Amino acid sequence: MALDNLRDLYQQVILERYKKPRHRGKTNPVHRYQRGHNPSCGDTIELTVKLNETGDRIEDVKFEGEGCAIAMASADLMSEALQGKSLEEALDMVQRFQNMMQGKGEFPFEQRKLNVMQGVSQFPVRIKCATLTWHTLKAAIEASNPQPAGFVSNE
Amino acid sequence: MTLIQEKTIAAKVRSDFPILNEQIHGKPLVYLDNAATSQKPIAVLNALQHYYKHDNANVHRGVHTLSSRATDAYEGARDKIAAFVNAAFRQEIVYTRNASEAINLVAYSWGLANLQPGDEIILTVMEHHSNLIPWQLIAQRTGAVLKFVELTETEEFDFDHFKSLLSNKTKLVAVVHISNTLGCINPVKEICAEAHRYGVRVLIDASQSVPHLPIDVQDIDCDWLVATGHKMCGPTGIGFLYGKLDLLRSMPPFLGGGEMIADVFLDHSTYADLPHKFEAGTPAIAEAIALGAAVDYLTNIGMDKIHAYEEELTAYLFQQLEQIPEVRTYGPKPKADGSGRAALAAFTAGGTHPHDLSTILDQAGVAIRAGHHCTQPLHRYLGAQSTARASLYFYNTREEIDVFIAALKEAIEFFGSLFG
Ligand SMILES: Cc1ncc(COP(=O)(O)O)c(C=O)c1O
Repeated sequence: MALDNLRDLYQQVILERYKKPRHRGKTNPVHRYQRGHNPSCGDTIELTVKLNETGDRIEDVKFEGEGCAIAMASADLMSEALQGKSLEEALDMVQRFQNMMQGKGEFPFEQRKLNVMQGVSQFPVRIKCATLTWHTLKAAIEASNPQPAGFVSNE
Repeated sequence: MTLIQEKTIAAKVRSDFPILNEQIHGKPLVYLDNAATSQKPIAVLNALQHYYKHDNANVHRGVHTLSSRATDAYEGARDKIAAFVNAAFRQEIVYTRNASEAINLVAYSWGLANLQPGDEIILTVMEHHSNLIPWQLIAQRTGAVLKFVELTETEEFDFDHFKSLLSNKTKLVAVVHISNTLGCINPVKEICAEAHRYGVRVLIDASQSVPHLPIDVQDIDCDWLVATGHKMCGPTGIGFLYGKLDLLRSMPPFLGGGEMIADVFLDHSTYADLPHKFEAGTPAIAEAIALGAAVDYLTNIGMDKIHAYEEELTAYLFQQLEQIPEVRTYGPKPKADGSGRAALAAFTAGGTHPHDLSTILDQAGVAIRAGHHCTQPLHRYLGAQSTARASLYFYNTREEIDVFIAALKEAIEFFGSLFG
């Protein structure tokens, strides 16, 4: 059975999020907008971010785009985990996620949902699918204005 | 449907390809990514080794024995390639790194010298990025304009649309022979005839046809034709440009360096004769010789036989794919005997993303491609963000297609139940 080895990768939560994402759409208003693109497969993602009044904390994140189950579930889970996080915390999470993809560490208890993505680290060619949304987030945070700043790519 | 050739080709040749014995995740490798690159027979691997063990020296530069052996083998491979595509003269074959470099050679040499603002270049929407980006770059430099032939309803080259684009502004037609995504076989002979009525030059990207069909450049009557060694059982790093002799003679050099000169002074130089004018620097000697070995290997089997056997595989592949309701294939359907298209199938499978399909198939040992296959504009045109692609070669078998189809069904079921 080809699928036996794939349970770690396609965890139930990932499949559910792929099928029924909870954070698809656009934030209102849009304080940050960033498009991400995986040039090797064509997957695209569009992140919008709503910030608090002082502009240092995330109130909402939404995504749009087309991609595989891993890419889309990753975006959905990320959007959820970022609600209420400061920009600094969000950048820490980007780093933590990248480490997790290298098999180093995981998220603490209160963000444990993100740990379902851990299985991806066993499939090196799919890591880019999972990190696309996080690369895009990083670019969105680091850009200082809400104008679309072209694509970021995770090559 | 009986596969007459199965016993006579795939069964005979499989043992020539050591890599086909690999196990992937504990399963026998089923290699269906031949449009990306083909596997290499032992004869080609041996040619590489033999050269380095016995003949290694620089070419065209020494009078010692090894240098003359290396030169003979390197130039001998050119003769083989010339015969393989039926070029009238051996000087019409220029070694390049791959098909992409061959197209760039024509674009930068001929294109920059001949294109004026407002001149038109006709391409198609199905071109590989290799036959698109060089022309975009040259168009930006010269002010030439790109025009694109669209597809018919059956997702093939639209000849009528092509004719409507041709005019006395047209200076070049650059078109793929077999699309690496649609698998359609474009009527290149008719395209050349039509273009030549307007005095227009034609370049054929034969990267996907030279490995699979008998090719006769004189019969096609193209001005240039490019191919790439690694898709035709040869090594990476070697490909070739065919060009009509007078045309190549009239073209300025592309890259400068050693090998390509006649007389060099500090402020100017004269250039070597064809084909060396276009082969600057120490070439990929071992790779060229090994490509010659690949050509020998293919010729011994017979390109007619390879093509006939691949048609049988095509018929079987499409019969099997058509039984899966979620599968949508791209490009023309084959005729009942498998003719009319190439032995590859780009497809989507309902809500299952090609990437996810490919990962699941890999677990079954099946290697397919997922993505845009370097034809992003075509994917946009077709309204598909990405596709999966199974592409066959003459060493593939019906049994391998069965393994692929079974794993594909399993994958579709797995994801299909989610959306059911
Ligand atoms: C139709 C077509 N043209 C051009 C190329 C480019 O070949 P290469 O990358 O070897 O230059 C390919 C293969 O990738 C192809 O399928």
